Order: sequence, then C-alpha cells, then structure tokens
Amino acid sequence: MTEIAIERVGGSDQRMGFFTDTTVCIGCKACEVACKQWNDLPGTGGALTPGRSYDNTGSLGGETWRHVRFVELSEPSDGLKREAREALARGNGGHVPGGLPAVTAEELAGAGGGVAQEEIPDLVQWASERTEGEFAGGMAAAGAGLAEAGVAPDDASLVDVAAAVAAFDSWIFMSDVCKHCTRAGCLDACPTGALIRTEFETVVLQEDVCNGCGYCVPACPFGVVDRVKEDGRAAKCTLCYDRLQDGLEPACAKACPTDSIQFGPYEELVEVARERVTTLQGRGVTGAYLYGAGDVDGEELAGGLGAFFLLTEPPERYGLPAQADSPIQQNVVPATLAAMGAGLAAAVGVAAAFLWEKRRA
Amino acid sequence: MSDQADRERRPGDPAERDMTPALGSPGQPAFGRRQDGETVALHIGEWRDGAWSYLYDKADTTYRAPGAVADGNVPEAARRARGGPLADEAVVQGPVMKPPVWTWEVPLYFWFGGLAAGSSFVALACDLAGDERSARIARKVALGALVPSPPLLIMDLGRPLRFYNMLRVFKPRSPMNMGAWALTVFGALAGTSVAADLVGLNRTAQVVGGLNAVVGGYLGSYAGVLLASTAVPVWARSRLFLGPIFVATATANGAATCRLVLAATGLPVGHPTRIALGHVESGAMAVELLLSQVNERSLGPLSDGLEEGRSGTLFRAAKWSVRSGLALRLARRRGGPWAHHLASGLYLAAGLMFRYAWVGAGPPSAKNDRVVARMAREHHHAG
Repeated sequence: MTEIAIERVGGSDQRMGFFTDTTVCIGCKACEVACKQWNDLPGTGGALTPGRSYDNTGSLGGETWRHVRFVELSEPSDGLKREAREALARGNGGHVPGGLPAVTAEELAGAGGGVAQEEIPDLVQWASERTEGEFAGGMAAAGAGLAEAGVAPDDASLVDVAAAVAAFDSWIFMSDVCKHCTRAGCLDACPTGALIRTEFETVVLQEDVCNGCGYCVPACPFGVVDRVKEDGRAAKCTLCYDRLQDGLEPACAKACPTDSIQFGPYEELVEVARERVTTLQGRGVTGAYLYGAGDVDGEELAGGLGAFFLLTEPPERYGLPAQADSPIQQNVVPATLAAMGAGLAAAVGVAAAFLWEKRRA
Repeated sequence: MSDQADRERRPGDPAERDMTPALGSPGQPAFGRRQDGETVALHIGEWRDGAWSYLYDKADTTYRAPGAVADGNVPEAARRARGGPLADEAVVQGPVMKPPVWTWEVPLYFWFGGLAAGSSFVALACDLAGDERSARIARKVALGALVPSPPLLIMDLGRPLRFYNMLRVFKPRSPMNMGAWALTVFGALAGTSVAADLVGLNRTAQVVGGLNAVVGGYLGSYAGVLLASTAVPVWARSRLFLGPIFVATATANGAATCRLVLAATGLPVGHPTRIALGHVESGAMAVELLLSQVNERSLGPLSDGLEEGRSGTLFRAAKWSVRSGLALRLARRRGGPWAHHLASGLYLAAGLMFRYAWVGAGPPSAKNDRVVARMAREHHHAG
C-alpha cells in the first residue's frame, strides 16, 4: 500500500515550476504545438468557434495540456485608457511607453499611415463614444497642431490611431497550463493513487495506473484534468516529467519565443516574478499581479501554485477562479461529519420505531 | 523540354545563388547540438530587454529590476485582483471548470448501494426487536441489492478492466477510495452473514449483520460526501446536506424494499415489524423532503442545476412522489395493504429520481461559469 506524498519528498530535489508572464505573451501558440508534439497528443479543434476570438483549440483538456487563451477585452483596461489619454493630450496618436513620434498630416490624410476605420470598428466606436467627454482636451490640442498642418480637426482617423493602438494591446493572451497545486484537488480525489507528487513537487498522472473513474475531473477547481473519451483515462500536463528527469526544460518553455513561459527552480521563479510585478507597477501597470505565488500565508491559491501567472486583469477574464483550494480538503471533513451524524440519527430512528411498535404489540 | 532542363532554369539554381549554409555543412544540423560535457540549462537565466526595438524609443524596458520589491506590494496587488466580490459578472470568460463525466450507471449504483445499506439497518433493527425471521430476509435483501453495484461501478470506468486499482491504495482522504473499500467490506460481510444464515449459524449471522450495518452507515452516505468534495457549486455548497439526504433516502428505500419483500414472503398485516418499517419509510422520506427544501433555499441562486432542465424535472417529480406517498399513508392509515405498497413504490421511485437529479445537476452547474466564479469568491469570504 502506498500513501501519496503531499510534502516534499527528498532534500536533494527541488521544486520546479512555471512562471507564465502574460504581459510578454504574443499568442503564437508555439507552446501548445510543442506540447502536443512532445507528448504525442492529437490535434484538437482546428475550426474557429464563434464568440471565441481566433482561438481554435478552446480550453485545456485531456488532449490539450498547454492552451493559449485569447482574451479580447471589449473595453481597454484602465491603464490603457490612461495611456491613450496621455497620448491624446500630447497631441499625437502615439502610444506609451516612450510614445511614437507625432502623427504627421500626411500620415493622417492618406489613411495608409494611420489605422483604417474598417480594420478596427469596435475600437473606433469605443473611442468616438468617448470623444465628447474624456478626450475633449486632448482632441483640442491635437486638433490645433493638425490645423497648422492643414488637416481638418474632425478627421475621424485622429482618434482612431490613439484608441486603436491602446485597444490593440487589450487583446491579451495567457498560456494556461496545469497549476501543479501545493494542495491539489485531483491528487486528493484520485482513488487509485494514479496521481502522484513527484520529486520535483509536480503532480503527475501515471497513465498505467489510471482506471478512468473521472473523480479528478470535478475535483479540479481550475478545469485542467479531463477524461479522454477515446482513451478512457484522464490526462493532464506532467510538467514534462520525462524531460525533467533527463535535465531538459519542458517543451513549452523551450519553445516560447518571448520567454513568456519561464521554467526553473520554484523559489527563484517567484523572486523573478515578484521583481517583474514591482517593475511593471512602477511603470504604471497598476493592475499587474501574481496569480498563485507571492501571497501571504492563508491567502494562497490551493496552497500556492507550482505553475503561476502574471496577470493584468481580474482572474475571471482568463477563466480562472479568484479563490481556489482542494475541494476535498475544504469539504470532506464537514461533509463526512454531517453524514455520520445523520447515520447515527437514522440508526436511532429505526431502532426507536421498531422498539416502539414492539412495545405496543 | 526535359525535367533536367526545367530544373536548371529555376531561380534558386545553385549556379545562380550562393547556397553555402551559414553554419555547418549541407545536410547536417547547423545548431542546437550539444557538445560532450556541456550542461543543459534548466531555466532561462537572464531576460533581455526590449530597448533595441524602435517601438519603445528610449524608455526603460528592463524586464525586471533586481531587488526592487517593495514591502508587501505583491500580495497587495493579488488581494486587489482576487479579493472581494466580483464587481462585474460580464468579465467572466469560461470555461472555468470541467463538468463531471459520470454517466447513468453512477446514480443507479448510488441508489442500489443506498438500498443495500438501508436493508442492513433494517436487519439490525429486526434482530434488536427479536424478529429473527425478518432479520434473515433483510440480510438477503441487503446482499441482493449489493450484487448489481460493482458491475455498475465498473461499467462507468474509462478503463473497466482496471477496476481493481481502486483497492491498490487505502486513502482516507479520497471518498471514492473509501467507498470502494466500504463496498468491498460490505459485500464480504453481507455474503458471510447470508451464508451463516443458510448453514444455521444464527448468532454469527447476527454479529456479522450488526457489523455490516456500521459499514452500511458509510456505504449509504459516502456518495453524498463524494459529490460534496468537488468544485461543482451545487454539490460543494450542499456539503452539510448531501450526506444526510443520502442517508435518509438509503434508510427509506431499504425499509421500503424490505417491507415489500417481507409482505410478499408472508409477514402478516399488522405485524409490528411491518408497521415499524412503514413508519421508518415515511419518517425518513419526510426528513429527506425537509432537508431538500432547506438545502434548496440555502443554496439560493446556486441551485440552478437542481431547478432547471432534466434534473429540475426529476427533482420536482421526486418531491411530488414523496408527497403523494406521505398523503397516501396518512389518508389510508387503516386502509388495505395495497395503498401502503403503492406508497412504498412511490418512495422507491422518489429515491431513484433524487439520485439521478443530484448527479445530473452537476454538469450544468459546473458549466455555469458565472456561478462557478461567484462561488469561488463568496465561498472564500464565508470561510
């Protein structure tokens, strides 16, 4: 009989993890492809689902262990709006940080330099709806500069550039993956011991043990693990356990062209992430935060996530729960106590009914 | 024109273009080859910044400033994003979690398992009340109700031939593992007690049957604990009610089956055991109805899965079935046996429908992304 280790196994091995920084993700899906290739996973999707952006793979699942989620914001975040406002106030259509050089009359007049209205209908609408109010000052300043250059201030493309550049940034990407929780619901639920904690403190499903009971599926608060219909077993990210044992970094991290996915010793990654958040906040990206690491005791997500993220929007935008823990560790004791109490009450009730009837008879 | 001549005319002809590889020799990998003794980097050591890009002008684009972490800013930022109630539900972009994958076998197994557990309670009570003949029959009913359970459970597995892996570990924190053990022990004890009855070891049968009632207490309730220990809102938020509801149904259905079987095997009308079983059925079903109502009210908007769709229909049908049974019992207190048998049948049907409704409520609840997201935040605040 095996008891599954919850805590670190040996002193010599180190917790390894992923730090996925969404601020540098470009949504190329190279990680997804690399994951599928290395782990021999079949291609999924292929068709674009209406209402799901240009994402053609949907969500994490038994056959998709890395998934780049496309999050299209119908409205730019507060930070981006502020940037656009500043750009407009300076009288150009540029974009912070740094700012592009002021838009010249030629660029605006001949729509080639600017962004054509048809290309970004939603953003134009967003910008023009607000032109009267918050951008009025900026519009006037920009208009004055442009009037000198001989362009009519009511040229629609004036607003387009600033708003479009700002709002283009609000198409955000997040490469989602199994979180390798410290308190993992799937690991607690697994009745066969197929899910184990490895020497790297990752959570791995042993496919030769899994009998496909499906209990890990609703036990995961992040919707990661799923049962594969054709195969019958559950499957999820292994944090490339096989590669790790050979000293190779996981396939997705290896493939990531922008280092959005970082792999390394956990403590080191958390330090990098904390510094990155601080740096971003210093630059005015006040919405940046870490999802799953760097929290104080008692506020961690599932005891701390082995694969954590740097996000800039509320977690729900990325399909992540704001709070999560192993549902087993949360519920099993109160539920069992209630059930046992009910069992006792039932026993007493049945015995009482019988004894009462016996006495009456 | 020959192929050869055609090929020679193409652009990219070695004669026209310099095709010397930048690195290595043609046909060999030019880069990415490890030399002997070279170490494999496990992580990216240093981040490059974007200052080279014309996009960023002269602004500071350093990826991170080492040692720049201020006191408590990181947890504070996470608290702002993750704490408190959800301001705007429109931001939820699912799917947040995966719906359970269980099929029709599971609720049917829950029903049979509950029936077996309830029958083991009845057997113990009959022994305590001194009705040995009824106790023997109740033990047979318990074994009979248990027999379809393992096949149903195994049929639901993705890999049925590996069912024995359930007993590979003893894992108290996994309700499913404990349930598999309880089912095994219950089956062994039920078989032993019936065998002891058959060979006339009455005392042994009573002791083993008594032990089995204890195991049955877990077998009849663990399914509720199993469902409650998931992230599915409608189940997780019913955690204090699911176990008791399952126990109540198990008790009522066990009693109803035993009563029907005892009546069929010649227990006379007016026998104390028969009357007591009738009381147990109605009492347990009334408790179940009450618990369901209280739970539904306390769930509030989370009870969508139980109120809408197929599960909603089943749930309402089950409740009306219980109400009809109770009404029948009250109206025909001194009535003939058939009114009471009909009531028992209604209770059994209600129990089955309750099981299907509860298991069926899971997937729509898990797929309701807004409810899942809201529960994650609220649940944390409630403690």
